[in-house]
Amino acid sequence: MDMAVKASDISAASPRARTQRRNDFLFRGATLFFALLVLTLLGGVIISLIHGAWPALKLFGFGFVGTEIWNPVTEKFGALAPIYGTLVTSAIAMLVGVPVSFGIAIFLTELCPAWAKRPIGVAVELLAGIPSIIYGIWGLFVFAPFLQRTVQPFLINTLGNVPGIGIWFKGPPYGIGVLTAGLILAIMILPFITSITRDVFETMPTMLRESAYGLGATTWEVVRDITIPYTRVGLVGGVMLGLGRALGETMAVTFVIGNSHRIANSLLAPGTTISAAIANEFTEAVGETYTSSLIALGLVLFVITFIVLAMAKLMLVRMNRKAGV
Amino acid sequence: MTALSMTAEQSQAALATDGDLREKISVRNLNFYYGGYHALKAINLPLFDKRVTAFIGPSGCGKSTLLRILNRIYDLYPNQRAEGEVLLDGENLLSPKQDLNLLRARVGMVFQKPTPFPMSIYDNVAYGIRLYEKLSRADMDVRVEEALRKTALWGEVKDKLRQSGLSLSGGQQQRLCIARAVAVRPAVLLLDEPTSALDPISTSKIEELVDELKPDYCIAIVTHNMQQAARVSDFTAFMYLGELVEYGATDTIFTAPKEEKTEQYITGRFG
Repeated sequence: MDMAVKASDISAASPRARTQRRNDFLFRGATLFFALLVLTLLGGVIISLIHGAWPALKLFGFGFVGTEIWNPVTEKFGALAPIYGTLVTSAIAMLVGVPVSFGIAIFLTELCPAWAKRPIGVAVELLAGIPSIIYGIWGLFVFAPFLQRTVQPFLINTLGNVPGIGIWFKGPPYGIGVLTAGLILAIMILPFITSITRDVFETMPTMLRESAYGLGATTWEVVRDITIPYTRVGLVGGVMLGLGRALGETMAVTFVIGNSHRIANSLLAPGTTISAAIANEFTEAVGETYTSSLIALGLVLFVITFIVLAMAKLMLVRMNRKAGV
Repeated sequence: MTALSMTAEQSQAALATDGDLREKISVRNLNFYYGGYHALKAINLPLFDKRVTAFIGPSGCGKSTLLRILNRIYDLYPNQRAEGEVLLDGENLLSPKQDLNLLRARVGMVFQKPTPFPMSIYDNVAYGIRLYEKLSRADMDVRVEEALRKTALWGEVKDKLRQSGLSLSGGQQQRLCIARAVAVRPAVLLLDEPTSALDPISTSKIEELVDELKPDYCIAIVTHNMQQAARVSDFTAFMYLGELVEYGATDTIFTAPKEEKTEQYITGRFG
C-alpha cells in the first residue's frame, strides 16, 4: 500500500487544509472569548459594586471612609473601623507569616536533608487544604483561649511597658481580638507563600547557586545576596498572593476578631475587618442605607486590593531599575 | 612553535629545565561516588603551581567530577561522597574538619556558562572580596580594578561599573566571572569548560587570559576541545570511564601518547 503523501494532497485547497484553517479559527475565537470573559466579569463586578454602594456614598460622601461610627439604629455608617481592622490584621499576618514562610522555603530548598523534604512539603500543602471555617473554630475554641492565658498576659507585662509601642499591648487579655485574627491569618497565608517561594527558589539555576557557594559564601549569604535578588519577581508575587488572601479572608477572622466597630489603640482589643463586617451583618441589614453601606464596604476592599497590587507592580519596577535590568 | 609540532623529547627537555615546578595539589587514590555509582576510580594526579593542567576525555568520563572535588562543591549534594586524599599544600582538603568557605576562597571556580550575579559589574567583582575582607571604599576600588585589569575587561567596562552584570555579552560575562574568582586572590583556579557556551572570538580571549593568569595560579581546566587543551595546558590528564588513563606533559600526550586509548581519543576515533 502506498502511504506516501502526494504534494497535491496538502495544497491549500484540500479538504484537510480547510478543516485545519477552520479549527484554528475556532480555537483562536474560543481563547479570545475566554480572555474577554475575564474583562467582562471584572467590569460587571465593579459596576454592580458601584451601583449598589451608590446610595450610601451619596448620603455620606467621602466621610464614609473617614468616620468610625457604625450605627444601624440611627443609620449612620462609616468604614474607618473595618478599614483599620483589615489593614492591621493583614499587616500582622504579613509581619509574622512572610519571614516564617521564607524560612521554611529556604530550609526546604537549601538545607533540608532529603528524607525530610517530602514530609515537610506535604505538611505545608495540607495546611493550605484546611478550610477556613476549621481555622475559625480552632481559633475560637483553642487558639484564642491559649493566647488569653499565656501569650497576651506576657505581652501586656513586657511590651506593654515599653514606651511608644506599649500602647499596642495594653488592656485586658480578651483572647479574641485584632492580634489573634492577625496570627490566624499568618497561619493561613503561610502555606501559600511557602509553596510559591519554594517553587521560585527552585527556578534558580544550579550553576549560579554553585558559583556563589564556589566563592565561599555561606548558605545565608547565598540566599540573601543571590537567591532572593534573582527570584525577586516571583517572591513579590507570592507575598502579594498571601496579602490578597489576608485582606479578603472572612470566616476565620469573623470567629476570632470580636466584631466590634471600634478602633482601639490596643492590638489585644476586639475589632472588625471589612469582610467580617459584611459576612456578619448582611442577613440582618434592613433598609437601603444599611445594605448599601455594606456594599460600599465591599467596594472599599476592592479598591484597597487594587492599590496593593499597583504598589507591588511599582515596587517591582523600582527593584528592577535598581538591579539595572 | 606550536605545542603540537614539538617532539616529546623537546617537551620533556623544556619541562626538565623548569626548576621551579611545585606540586600544589596532590590527588591520591581518589574515589568518588554518586550514591551507589562509582564515578571516579583510584585517581592519582599532581597539579603543579603556575601551570595549567587540562582534563580531557569523552562525556561522562569524570573530568568535571574530578574538578568539582577540588573545591568540594559536590558537598552541596547529600548523596555524593569522595574517598581518598586531595592535598592542597600538604593539607587534606577532604578532611571533615576542612572549613569549606575558606577552602573555596583559596580555590576559585568558573563554570560552563557565565553566571554573573544579579547585581552591578562592580558588585559582582567586589562580592567575593566582601565575604572575607573589610576594605575601605578606595581599597575596594583598587582591588576591583586590579581584578578587571587582570581579566582584560577593565577597558570595556570601566565606564559602566554600575550597570548590571547581565548587561554584558556572553564572553564579557565569562571574563567577569573569572575576574570575580580572581578578585578573592585564590591560589587555585578551576575552569569547568569555560568556553563551551562562547563564540570563537570570546573563546580565544579566554584562552589568552588563561595564559596570562598562569604565572600567578595553579590552573585546572576541563575541556571538550582537544585543540584548546593543546593550546592552553602544560599537562594533560586523559580520563575514560572514571579512570585516569594517561597523565603527562601536554606535548607528550598529544604527540606520543603511551596508551592506545589516548591515541584513539586525540585522533578523534571515539568520544
